[in-house]
Amino acid sequence: MASDGKAEDSVKIQILKDALYDEMRQHGSESRAFSQKDILDLNIIPNGNLELLLQVVQRLCDDKLLVGIANHHAGMAWRWRSKEEAKKYTTLPNDETVMVYSIIDEAGADGIWNRTIKNKLNMHEAVVKNCIKFLESKGYIASMKNVEHPNKKMYIKATLRPSERATGGPWFTEGELDTAFITELEGIVFEYIKTKSAYRGSQPHPGGAAGAGTTKVPKRGAVTAGETTARGTKRSATEISNDDTTTSSPSAAQTKGTSGGGTATSKSRTVFLPMPAGYKHYPTVAEIAKFIHDTGITNNTTLGEADIQQLVDVLTYDGLVEMVRVGRRRGYRVARAVKQDTVPFHKRQKEREAGNGLDLPLVQGAEPLSNGLTEAPCGRCPVFQLCEEGGPVSPSNCVYFLQWLELEDLPKAVAPNVAVQP
Amino acid sequence: MLVTKPIAELCALLIDELHGELPSRIFAMLLSKGRSTVPQLSQYTSMTPRQVRHGLAVLQQHNLLFYHVDPGAELAFYEANPDHAYNLVRTGKILEMIDTTFGAPAKDVMQSLLLSGQTRISDLVAAYQEKIEQANKSAPGVGDDGDFGAEPNGADGDSQSTKSGGPLVKSTAHLNTILCRLVEAELIDVVHAKSFESSEDILKTVEKEVMAKYFPGGVKGNKAKAEFQERIAEGLRKVRGESKSLKRKLEQNGTAAKRRRLLSGISAVNGVHDEDMDPALDPRQVIRINYEKCLVDLRNRRLVQYASDMIGETTAYVYGVLLKLLTKDLPRCRSDPVMDAEGDNEESEKGPGSVTTEQILDNLKTSVDLSLGIGKAERRHISSTAAEKIESFPPKKKRFIEETEVDGEASADEDEGDDESSEESDYDSDYKAPATNGTNGVNGTNGTRVKFEEAAAPKERRMDRPSMLRQHLLILAESTQRFVRHCGSNEWTVDFIPVMDSLREAELDSVIERTCGRQGLRLVRILRAKGKLDEKALPNVALMRKPELQQKMLEMQTAGFVSVQEVPRDLKADVKKSFFLWFCDVDRSYNRLLDTSYRTMVHCVQVLEALRQKERDVLETTKRTDVRGREKDTMRKSYYERYSRFLDCERKLFAQVMRVDDLVSVLRDF
Repeated sequence: MASDGKAEDSVKIQILKDALYDEMRQHGSESRAFSQKDILDLNIIPNGNLELLLQVVQRLCDDKLLVGIANHHAGMAWRWRSKEEAKKYTTLPNDETVMVYSIIDEAGADGIWNRTIKNKLNMHEAVVKNCIKFLESKGYIASMKNVEHPNKKMYIKATLRPSERATGGPWFTEGELDTAFITELEGIVFEYIKTKSAYRGSQPHPGGAAGAGTTKVPKRGAVTAGETTARGTKRSATEISNDDTTTSSPSAAQTKGTSGGGTATSKSRTVFLPMPAGYKHYPTVAEIAKFIHDTGITNNTTLGEADIQQLVDVLTYDGLVEMVRVGRRRGYRVARAVKQDTVPFHKRQKEREAGNGLDLPLVQGAEPLSNGLTEAPCGRCPVFQLCEEGGPVSPSNCVYFLQWLELEDLPKAVAPNVAVQP
Repeated sequence: MLVTKPIAELCALLIDELHGELPSRIFAMLLSKGRSTVPQLSQYTSMTPRQVRHGLAVLQQHNLLFYHVDPGAELAFYEANPDHAYNLVRTGKILEMIDTTFGAPAKDVMQSLLLSGQTRISDLVAAYQEKIEQANKSAPGVGDDGDFGAEPNGADGDSQSTKSGGPLVKSTAHLNTILCRLVEAELIDVVHAKSFESSEDILKTVEKEVMAKYFPGGVKGNKAKAEFQERIAEGLRKVRGESKSLKRKLEQNGTAAKRRRLLSGISAVNGVHDEDMDPALDPRQVIRINYEKCLVDLRNRRLVQYASDMIGETTAYVYGVLLKLLTKDLPRCRSDPVMDAEGDNEESEKGPGSVTTEQILDNLKTSVDLSLGIGKAERRHISSTAAEKIESFPPKKKRFIEETEVDGEASADEDEGDDESSEESDYDSDYKAPATNGTNGVNGTNGTRVKFEEAAAPKERRMDRPSMLRQHLLILAESTQRFVRHCGSNEWTVDFIPVMDSLREAELDSVIERTCGRQGLRLVRILRAKGKLDEKALPNVALMRKPELQQKMLEMQTAGFVSVQEVPRDLKADVKKSFFLWFCDVDRSYNRLLDTSYRTMVHCVQVLEALRQKERDVLETTKRTDVRGREKDTMRKSYYERYSRFLDCERKLFAQVMRVDDLVSVLRDF
């Protein structure tokens, strides 16, 4: 009778166990923690029999189908584990391996450092090593790299993908910051902002005359005859049509041939012009993100708005774009529109590959501003701090200045003089 | 001005360059020893008192010296005036500015004035009289300005060649006119007894006077203290105002001045001017150049260049006109903390006031095509409310709260008092209408094909000049640099302090970008935006690899652009656990940049000196009277080549000094 009762009990528990497990699976994902009250409220255990509950839960835990966790706020709680996972546990050969596996399992997507495993379990290193080796050979766990600690050997359950914190987000590939990818994407974003936030128009060469070069500042005071003819007349109809051809076919602008109109005003050049104040269509981060998404450049990584924001911020810090607030809209526009290159960056790159325009600097955006200090040899002199009259390096024997003044042949003449001096 | 070693060196070199070695040595000694008497100086320099006096006289003549005689004392104390000495470097720039705004004759007068230091008007007139007579008698040619040391640029040489047509100043009446105009522009002011005293001495004298007059029993209590300060400021203002006496006198002769103001700008081009209109200036007055006002004009030029760099030429031109109108009555770039602290309510010169669109329009050159330089967008793409937003008060930045607030009040006051602007409000309402539908025509988005509808073209032409002008002004107002503030409907003003801040920052940025690359600039700007940042947080924001970033930061730390602070986590101060916070101290960077600039200028002049030493034999030949002026014909070919190459280098080096001075003025004076 007693043994019968026991057998009956075990059958009952077996049924309850399965029922409870199924019910728990219905009520939440693997990460949900069920407290004792939650389990009782599932109405599986008859009459809220705590002893029965204890037995059932114990059996489930033994089968690795439930994981007990200690929750600081709610006390003891349990999570369910899938049957496949549980099977993995049960097939493990010894307790040590089970412990190692469970600790890696608990670490989840963040992974865990092998030394942490050792410290937590207080086991001998060789044992841990063996266990890990076994688990790895079984394909249960995999080693991973964490961006924050690139030198630590970390392990993660093979079925999981490393979390974003561990991989560093979309900017990292295999634990390394993918600078090539970032630079490329920055270029694309910059081109997009540039073309969307500035008006591509044509402007007659200041000075009018063909060989006048590019005098940037309009000379005040004396107005030359050429200037009057060029700017005195307001935009004529021919110029407008000229404008039309350049905008519709940017390639025409590149060759500087405004032959489309067949007009005489071939002295104009294509430039970017700033938009009128209050322009409402400066691209926002959301628009840029959509553009990037639509083009499908980043086919294997998904970039959220936050990621694009990060990219645009970097461009802002680089001084390439600037934020404009028009009404409530936070758009971005290119800084110093007039100085921007009208030929897209990738075209310039191709040109370079073809061997053209090597004399032009290949940087995105406008040429940086310069001032007297950066132009003089002193501004970039490596020995500036030492340089003083009477010292070993002095202005009077400065080679950089001679180069700068285009007197390169003179250093030889100077050298003996210096040598003679005591 | 704080005189550091490089400045002292630079000043001495400049004086040596322009006025010779004797004054230069005395000046250097004065800078290093402080105020001294003649016997002391002769002891320091081991020169005879006679020599010292000679040197002092030269310095005094060019206003490079202060002196002070205590009542009852036998000997005067002399003190160096480093500000004016430094200003010598700007000679070329000032002359060029005068040339472009007032024409070549005015430049000629200014140049004579710069060469001869402070001058009595009668002397100046006599000198010119002689020159004119000489020119009338003989064939033209010999200018008085032989080898003017700080000849800045090619432009100078050009004007000399054109000069051979005859004297630039045609008669003494013409000279008088020019002087009147310069005085009115405050570019020339009057020398008076107090202008030879250093500001500290003046302050002390004024303090003493105020004490004796109003507070014989001493200053007690807060109220009395405030009043004391007030009286001192007033006294100082009176002293400062003395140098403007000539201008005031001219202004009393109201009609002529007004006439001229109307004609100004035109007369410079035409050169023909009704000379009889101008009152003769008192020949006994001694005049000199007012560097403070010159700096205001130079600042305008720099700002125009900045706007041209940032936005575009046409817009920059508009900005230039606006600045010119705005600063007409602005006596100096930076207001004096004592004198201008409380006087803003009565003094009109405080705060730049505002300018209406109408005024700008009246002063624009008709040859300038305002349709250039702005993109076009459909009207529905433009938010006119955002563009036309009026900001009546200057932006309140943390650092500049006090100053800007004062500015704001002042300009607000002026707006009310300015009846001109209220008259013009009728016009304003007139062109508000076209302005709102002003930006029409093509759409600007680039991807789509731009289509010209039939209607668009005539519409294009109908956009009138005032509304185009408005567009430029609105762009200036919308810019991130805040070039212009739209302070009332159709009224515009410039908040110089924030604009100059942004210009300073731009200068610093360009130095950083040129020396440490774009990534360096990125890091500095991140730090500037976020304050102190942990080393570990930086790579995430900058999207840079850690080792590269660390290398860049170290590079910039050596260059003085960023600094690091170590914050230990616990008492043990374990280096491995400490936080390393990077930050950038902008002011420190500025100071360092200034120092570098001074030293660069010193180096340039020293390099020139070295070149002179090397080409000594050639240069000595050119000094011979039979060679001078005919170098090309008389000198051997190889010698002449060396000579012209030297001249090239000299020009380059001086131009370089000028360029560096541009930076110095932005950082220090504007």
